[in-house]
Amino acid sequence: MSDMALSTPRPAPKRRSHGSKRTLRIVQVVCVLIIALVMISPLFMLLVASLKDDRFQILADMGSFKAFWVSDPTLNNFVEVGGMSGDLAFGRYLMNSLIILFVTVSSGLVINSMAGFVLAWGRVPGKVVILALVIALYVIPQESIIMPLLIMVSRAGMTDTFTAQILPWVASPLYIFLFYQFFAQLPKELYEAAEMDGASPFRIYRSIFMPLSLPAMATTSILMGIESWNQYLWPVLVTQTAYARPIAVAIGTFFGQDSIFWDRAMAASVLMMLPILAFYIVFQRWFVSSFIGTAVKG
Amino acid sequence: MEERKLMGKRLLATLALTTAGFAATAAMAEDTVVKVMHQGDPGWVEMYGKVAERFEAANPGVDIELVYAPHDAYNEKFSAAVMSKDLPDVFEMDAPFLANYVWSGYLAPIKPLIDPAVLEDMTASNIAQGTYPIDNELYGIGLTDSSVVLYGNRKYLEAIGARIPTSVDDAWTRAEFEDVLEKLSKVEGVKWPIDTFRGYGIKTEWITYAYEPILASFGCDLIDRTTWTSEGALDSQPCVDALTMMQDWAKKDWIVPMSAGTNQFFADGNPAALAWGGHWVYSQAAAAMGDNVVVLPLPKFGEKSASPNGTWIWGVSTASKHPDVAGKFISFLLQDADYRAYAVSQSAFPGLKSFAAQSPLYAEGGPMAIAFEQASKSAVARPPHPAYPTITSAFMQAFDVIINGGDAKTELTKAAQKIDEDIADNDGYPPFNGQ
Repeated sequence: MSDMALSTPRPAPKRRSHGSKRTLRIVQVVCVLIIALVMISPLFMLLVASLKDDRFQILADMGSFKAFWVSDPTLNNFVEVGGMSGDLAFGRYLMNSLIILFVTVSSGLVINSMAGFVLAWGRVPGKVVILALVIALYVIPQESIIMPLLIMVSRAGMTDTFTAQILPWVASPLYIFLFYQFFAQLPKELYEAAEMDGASPFRIYRSIFMPLSLPAMATTSILMGIESWNQYLWPVLVTQTAYARPIAVAIGTFFGQDSIFWDRAMAASVLMMLPILAFYIVFQRWFVSSFIGTAVKG
Repeated sequence: MEERKLMGKRLLATLALTTAGFAATAAMAEDTVVKVMHQGDPGWVEMYGKVAERFEAANPGVDIELVYAPHDAYNEKFSAAVMSKDLPDVFEMDAPFLANYVWSGYLAPIKPLIDPAVLEDMTASNIAQGTYPIDNELYGIGLTDSSVVLYGNRKYLEAIGARIPTSVDDAWTRAEFEDVLEKLSKVEGVKWPIDTFRGYGIKTEWITYAYEPILASFGCDLIDRTTWTSEGALDSQPCVDALTMMQDWAKKDWIVPMSAGTNQFFADGNPAALAWGGHWVYSQAAAAMGDNVVVLPLPKFGEKSASPNGTWIWGVSTASKHPDVAGKFISFLLQDADYRAYAVSQSAFPGLKSFAAQSPLYAEGGPMAIAFEQASKSAVARPPHPAYPTITSAFMQAFDVIINGGDAKTELTKAAQKIDEDIADNDGYPPFNGQ
């Protein structure tokens, strides 16, 4: 190495000027604000409309910025919706939805994670074929199987039950694959060491792999929860009476033949949104990190 | 020993008698369950619940099980009930779907099941909406019927010096109507000359229901009602002209857009000067505008004026195991005083003569008398054909494209072809093909 080379000054790294950095930051913030505004505005409009007492005014305001403003807020709509009874008991429908959500998600976590575990670590003949089939099933849209499923449910005598709204959606190719993908990435040594210690496959799943799969569990519960909570067509088809009717179907009551009760529909929609919103706010951090960790696209 | 044997026999006999007694009691106590499928907003849902309770109280041993289906998903729910072989005993249906349901074998003739006094009470339009044209049997019945009128803002109409028609016979002609729209578009405070209630969207029956009379008034139809083919009818020049006229209104911003909702006629400031609205709009409009609402007959675009009819009516399914009880329930419902009072409060259009007498709104001299006059003079039922679901769906799709700027001839031709293809696919829906 020559002296010349040693003495040659290194080119100074290009630095953005303080001003341009600041402009970039402002542009970024503005962009984020615009995106946030677009995302939040329908929810904000829903909340504002639920505080308006006149259904016709809500409708008239919808085409303008008045939709985002309430001059005389009232909780009357919530009181009315909460006070409905008989075939319109919204408290009951909310409870029905919560029962369906809880049972679907909790049983779904167990069933899908066990299936994913077996596909990743179990000694199953034709495992690759089964996995390929699971992935292939994922591309079949729910709507295309809804009629055969309905006939099956009806023949099994499950119409108008909670079971009809839970059982068909507990096992899902998406979540089985998600758990498979997660378990398959865990080190082989974990399984082998436990096996050498004499643990059964179920013990290995329950005591080692399941506790490690919390990020996948979080993602699955949130996705399954949203899916279950927003079900509309299926419960419309399988419910008949108020017994197991979820809130999403009950809200449809406000959209009548000749009139739409926007005021009460908005209040009921806010009520429907609250549990899932609270769930999200509480687990927000976990939700974001688990999505990144499991690389699930929303 | 003998005593013990005797005791055993006695015990067995008692047990057998008790079991038989329980079985008989259970059979006697088992209710006759009648499923009633319906749609409707909270007011109607509550009303059906109360009527069912009253019917059960008046008919011990009968259990009315109400099956609710949201209005927007009613057809899906009905199809699901058909597929799962779980048709209710009684169900509500939109009248133009009756022919399809009868043809498919879902509906039973209702005449032998309904109280003769109620049958006698039906208006001609009510009988027409419930009758299947092939066997002329009655399959559906309702308390109500429907119509569409032209609502006007009196102040705006007076401001332009418009003639106010007072009967179906002196309805505005097309030239007069378009002149009124033109003038109204220039009046201060008027944002849109007319609300045609596009805000109801394209999934409801509104488009076919409310705008088919325009085709009829132009002298054409969705389908030829003698040959039951759509090509040559829906894509004929009068229909093309009718839809082009409506497209022109939209291009001139005379019509309230879909995004502006469904109450621009009576909203604050009255941005819409006229409304092409159902009879149900009256109560809302009158509440907001008082005497400023004027009810006008639908315009005469061609030789004659035309107006729609038909609404949701009740039928008994062929799957019912208790058709007599099902018919009894329908008769009970249609005569229930509270049900009628609620229907009056909703400005329901009378389908029974006795109900018309209870509805001063539609009586001679009443504010909606013109609507009732239309029912007898200009009402045109939608095609009573099993292909109606396809007919209405094809027309609605074509209308939506045309109103948004599409070519009327092209779209109506596509719709007519689609309808005829469905009819061909079903071998002409015999006996509608004359076989």
